[in-house]
Amino acid sequence: MSVGIIGILYGLGTLLFMFSGMPIAFALGSIAVLFMFIFMPGSSLDTVTLNVYEEMANITLLSVPLFILKGAAIGKSRAGADLYLAIHAWMHKIPGGLGIANVFASALFAAMSGSSPATCSAIGSAGIPEMRARGYSPRFAAGIIAAGGTLGILLPPSIVMILFSVAAEQSLGRLFLAGIGPGILMVILFSGYAAFRYKKEYKEALDTYNQGGKKSAYLDAMRLTLYDKFRLLPRVVPFVTLLVGVMVALYGGFATPSETAGLGGILALCLIAVIYRMWRPSQLKPILSSTLKESTMLMFIIGMSLLYSYVMSYLHISQSAAESIVALSLSKWALLSVILLMVVVLGFFLPPVSIILMTAPIILPPLKAAGFDLIWFGVVMTIVMEMGLIHPPVGLNIFVIKNIAPDIPLKDIIWGVVPFVALMMFAVLLICIFPSIATGFPDAVYGLSTK
Amino acid sequence: MSHGVELEGTKPSLTPKVGGVLGTLVHWQAKINSYVLFVSMLALLAACLVLTLSVVMRYFLKWPTDWQDEVSVFLLVGAVFMCGAYVQAERGHIGISALEGFFSPAANRMRLLFCDIASLAFCTFFTYKTWSMLHEAVVEGQTTSSTWGPPLWIPYGLMAAGMTLLCLQMLLQILIALKTKGAAN
Repeated sequence: MSVGIIGILYGLGTLLFMFSGMPIAFALGSIAVLFMFIFMPGSSLDTVTLNVYEEMANITLLSVPLFILKGAAIGKSRAGADLYLAIHAWMHKIPGGLGIANVFASALFAAMSGSSPATCSAIGSAGIPEMRARGYSPRFAAGIIAAGGTLGILLPPSIVMILFSVAAEQSLGRLFLAGIGPGILMVILFSGYAAFRYKKEYKEALDTYNQGGKKSAYLDAMRLTLYDKFRLLPRVVPFVTLLVGVMVALYGGFATPSETAGLGGILALCLIAVIYRMWRPSQLKPILSSTLKESTMLMFIIGMSLLYSYVMSYLHISQSAAESIVALSLSKWALLSVILLMVVVLGFFLPPVSIILMTAPIILPPLKAAGFDLIWFGVVMTIVMEMGLIHPPVGLNIFVIKNIAPDIPLKDIIWGVVPFVALMMFAVLLICIFPSIATGFPDAVYGLSTK
Repeated sequence: MSHGVELEGTKPSLTPKVGGVLGTLVHWQAKINSYVLFVSMLALLAACLVLTLSVVMRYFLKWPTDWQDEVSVFLLVGAVFMCGAYVQAERGHIGISALEGFFSPAANRMRLLFCDIASLAFCTFFTYKTWSMLHEAVVEGQTTSSTWGPPLWIPYGLMAAGMTLLCLQMLLQILIALKTKGAAN
């Protein structure tokens, strides 16, 4: 049987198993083992578990549970709400400052927790009621929080980037740094939109009031004392110090990524114990159990995805698929567009973890052959996958918002995120035109990439 | 990656109460899962402490750090595999549910039963191979390739035990689904 036919059968089998509703990890493992049994030597089946163990016993990969622990510890405390309130107190005088404060708080919280849904939940539970009380439309309030949360998988320490670094064999330090420029770009774009939207909604509120209509809360002046501004800083500064400290430990050469993750986890637990008095076993249990639940689910998917990729590679499916893509002789940018479109479509059904690990062996060789920097591509791919977090049908962040603000209709939340999806597309376009937005920072720190 | 954010509707469905031998087995499996979860929590914290210690020892005490990575790997691999059954009990291994709306409730019950049986078949094979790997590691005295060289039966043993618990958990869920005509799903 030709490699092409085997590849098609492998793809169809995967779709069948996945869409049956089987857990992703077991579906990937089943199809891999089935094809090993049919098309590979019998002895290969003896090494199935060894393959999975060896792939999982990678200390960089195993930093994932530790980063999740750090995120869960911060996410389950009041740190997000305090961070938001502190930033809001300092920015309230800027036009659209409330919306901008939400974007800044989301970016900082995302960098601390590394999680999009956790960011949405933590910042949104304080930010959405406040924005609505100040007259912001529910649609905009929901949209900006959902979009702000997506920064969680772009800013370091991003779990998605850890997986990309393993799958693409790229430097994790470079990837983390490459996410910072685009992260800042998106913060600027989101903030700019927040200011624009504020002016529009303010004008509408003013017109309504001038025509004898109801006075919107938009028109009320907000006054905060110096005490209000400094009150929350002692609670927020330690977490920002943790964020900076972790980065210094990593880039100052003091700690490896996994050591940074371990250190971050312990420090986050210490901070919530000291600042929020969350030290009792009953308070720590939900943090640890949710960390283990998510880590186990993810690590099973990672292990089985790597087994799946191994079978694809052994049967020359990935190599043939990559060669076929190269043989299409698409222009550099057409190739990138096709691949990103595929990532978007896969994002309808699969979590970023599976998309990266399943597609990397197929899409990375053609991209490398076309002259793309894989660090740069990792960032672009991450932003595209971020879009999947705020657009239907999966749009995890949409459902997090629905959960914390149940009275906002789903339709409004979806319409609220549309401008942000457009801004993210614009960001991708800018990063394509000016690649140094992503590569400039790592190149400045590590020197020019040789890969 | 939800980092502990539980959404309404994604929380695990309650397992219907079943009596007799099956009920006793479910009770014991839940008890074992909760003990294993507790030990895994300690393992997770221990891994964090070991990695933190590694930085302290290297930079402040100038001591060599040749064992910390492997200890952390063993702790984390062990915690992940040992929690497989607990996560399965909570239906936390995510799958694609896009087709759910296209089937009748009866067809969905059959589909979910098929998924559980297929998952159990794969996990049983994987568990069998894990025990074989453990047997080889014990008989041949396999160790890791580092200078410290700890025995490999430790992580393999945890993998085998965790996968066995996962299979038992799946088997119980299938038996419950058959007994309650799918109400467990």
